[in-house]
Amino acid sequence: MTVFKSMQINATGLNLERLKLDTISTNIANANTTRTENGEAYRRKVVVFRERLSAETDRQSGLASVRSEGVSVVGIAEDQSDFRLEYSPEHPDADENGYVRLPNVNMVDEMIDLIRTQRTYEANVTALNTSKSILKKALEISKD
Amino acid sequence: MNVNGIGTGSISRIADKQSSNTGTSFKDIINDQLSKLNDSQIRADQMAQDFISGEVEDLHAVMIATEEARLSLDLALQVRNKIVEAYKEINNMQL
Repeated sequence: MTVFKSMQINATGLNLERLKLDTISTNIANANTTRTENGEAYRRKVVVFRERLSAETDRQSGLASVRSEGVSVVGIAEDQSDFRLEYSPEHPDADENGYVRLPNVNMVDEMIDLIRTQRTYEANVTALNTSKSILKKALEISKD
Repeated sequence: MNVNGIGTGSISRIADKQSSNTGTSFKDIINDQLSKLNDSQIRADQMAQDFISGEVEDLHAVMIATEEARLSLDLALQVRNKIVEAYKEINNMQL
């Protein structure tokens, strides 16, 4: 329904932030994982997203236009930056020189991303609440 | 300034309009909108059920669905109030 469009737009934002939060959680949980399915250390995951557009025709003028309809997730990519190297020969995943490859997860970066995700989620909720209160106010028109 | 004589032309035109509009009567519109309202209430209810059973993972989707249902109900209530008001107004008309 078009009345609730602004709410639906923010809903896509909320979906994205939730997915980001899940990804950050995975990164933090795997911050020290040296073993994955492909044999190397864990690579940091990042959510790739883009603006969601929808083509629509104006009812009055009949002109076709492209409108933004929030955000959509493209996929989850892997950070290709280098692994951290740590010398610990007793580690089972150490190479022949005694070095262990640790994930390219930087805990401080993850924390910053976490805060940013939380704030963006909150901003989306605020925008959503505003559109809700606008609709509620409109219902008050000509109320006794 | 044009002065038009009193004729049956305008009345027959109104009658024509009414006969051509019989497809969507006021009753049909109300029924249609009420069923849409019912659908949104059912959808919100279903979302809550799905969330409890774990099929829907997003809490905000449930909240938005319930909020949409609530706003739709509020709007329907306002429209109903207006209809009743208009009906009463006509009913109290002195002839």
